[in-house]
Amino acid sequence: MVLDTFLITGLFNVVMLIGLALLLHLQLGLTRIANFGVVGFWGVGLYTFGVLYVRVDWPFEDPIQFVVCAVLATAAAGLCGLLIGWLIADLDVDGVLVGTLGFATAVAILATTEQGLTGGARGMGGLRFPYDSGDVAVNELIWLLVLVALVAGILAYVWLVHRAPYGRLLIAIGSNEPLARSLGKPVTRTKLGLFTITSALMGLLGVMYGVMVRFLEVSSLGIEVTLATVVGLVVGGSVRVLGAVVGVLLTVGFFDIVIQSYLPLPAEWYTQTIPLMREVLFGVALILVLVFRPLGLLGHMRRDRLMKRIHGG
Amino acid sequence: MVAESGTAVRADLPHRTMPRARLTVTDVSKSFSGRTVVDVDSLTLGDHPIEGLIGPNGAGKTTLMRLIMGSLKVDSGKIRLEREGRREIELSRLPAHKIAQSGVVKSNQVITDFEGLTILDSLLLSVTPARREHPLHLAGERATYDEHRAAIERQLDDFGLEDSRRVALSAGEKKLVDIIRCLLLRPAVLLLDEPTAGLPGEVTRKVMDAVEKLAADGTTVVIIEHDLAVIWRLCAQVTFMAEGRVLLRGEPSDIREHKTVVESYLGQGHV
Ligand SMILES: Nc1ncnc2c1ncn2[C@@H]1O[C@H](COP(=O)(O)OP(=O)(O)OP(=O)(O)O)[C@@H](O)[C@H]1O
Ligand SMILES: [Mg+2]
Repeated sequence: MVLDTFLITGLFNVVMLIGLALLLHLQLGLTRIANFGVVGFWGVGLYTFGVLYVRVDWPFEDPIQFVVCAVLATAAAGLCGLLIGWLIADLDVDGVLVGTLGFATAVAILATTEQGLTGGARGMGGLRFPYDSGDVAVNELIWLLVLVALVAGILAYVWLVHRAPYGRLLIAIGSNEPLARSLGKPVTRTKLGLFTITSALMGLLGVMYGVMVRFLEVSSLGIEVTLATVVGLVVGGSVRVLGAVVGVLLTVGFFDIVIQSYLPLPAEWYTQTIPLMREVLFGVALILVLVFRPLGLLGHMRRDRLMKRIHGG
Repeated sequence: MVAESGTAVRADLPHRTMPRARLTVTDVSKSFSGRTVVDVDSLTLGDHPIEGLIGPNGAGKTTLMRLIMGSLKVDSGKIRLEREGRREIELSRLPAHKIAQSGVVKSNQVITDFEGLTILDSLLLSVTPARREHPLHLAGERATYDEHRAAIERQLDDFGLEDSRRVALSAGEKKLVDIIRCLLLRPAVLLLDEPTAGLPGEVTRKVMDAVEKLAADGTTVVIIEHDLAVIWRLCAQVTFMAEGRVLLRGEPSDIREHKTVVESYLGQGHV
């Protein structure tokens, strides 16, 4: 079997972004929390994990060391979600946008300035897979499969949420907070809970990424992750379960895998031209969708069909 | 001011010996940008099954109800809820969702709806208990519907709402769904803000029948209504508000005696 590292890395990014977009779907699509700091929560997971794994002298070996660090990093991201969620709880959409974007910026700045811990702009190595098959390509493939399992779990969760009273509560809160309150629903607590859980899982996806690349770079904390997540979700349709999947596949998947792998592009393009082209194409895709199909390719939520399927009639 | 007339209850409503929930409003005031919109010294609601709240546009009726159900906060004063066998609750210190949980519910004058949710969703939402809305409780949908199916289907039938598996379309439908949501909650206190405005006459009658039934079962009902015929017919006690204050209070006949006062605010032909 020929294992193409380039393809595996590309697939890994696509699957990871599908995971992030699914989590953003719960936040933005259902609950209308406009989180533009996805990379911040992902980055807290990534860097907390990296620093704990590399800098701390643990009394145990992998895979326990990995599990402990991953759990702590996930918890750290969740804690950030709780804190930021509490700060933005009563803000309007603009406030939420600025607040979350500001948080992501703060994370990037901290990762850059805390050189002693993070390696700063030089980056930090020392991460590794919590197992070793003897072949890096095989290790990467296994890690990709672990990620696929995790994201499949997230997808299954989102699918179930749509069919549970919890999902209805999220939609109700997203649509009309005062009305939900007047029916006795604890709006703030529900939003905080959701934001904490989804932020934690974004952090866990950051952990997964850290192990895959095995090198922390502050450049990964820029706008790209958030942009790709938002573009994917909005293009696919932010209110449908499969919107995140379809959207990310059609944007990131199409560009990073199909175009980059199968189009004979000149090698010197890869450093500057392609990343630029990518941002431009994503921007154009976003604008086209917002103009011609504001709800994304998959469109409306279709609760009518869902209710019929669940309750008959 | 008309003295409170005590225990008069409409003869044709079944009496309940058990006292119903009472709301006490004490020295409550509310201003918007310096203009006082509600200024009520003392008002007790709930000594009668159905009470009316009337007054001209801008009198502060809706604002008073919103202060009671917590979607607005009082500037000063207290609003308390007394229920048989329970500790008195100071509503004006609670967040809106806790007020609703303690049994005080309001239907809305302005059309409000959950965009994207079907009629059935909306009704199920109001009856789903908190434990089933937990992020890790993902299997409670069928059970919730099964438990409340009879009540929900009966309301839908009564009000002639066909096919609940779709979003409410007209303003009238949304208004009706808003009212049914409240009815399903079987509240201790039901505040109705112009429940019949925008509904066809036949539906209005059905709503009023349902409200009377709820009141007979022990709910304290307070109605704001511009159609005074409805008020005179249903209410044992009527409060007349103008410019944020309670001007008159008493049985319908007492209020109608003050023809000049009422007509000076509401125009002729209302009393
Ligand atoms: N949120 C608000 N901000 C500013 N002013 C408000 C607000 N809500 C109500 N008002 C003002 O308070 C006054 C009382 O309004 P309210 O809606 O309570 O009257 P109402 O008695 O219900 O009248 P109507 O019969 O027309 O419904 C009005 O002058 C209204 O413009
Ligand atoms: Mg009003």
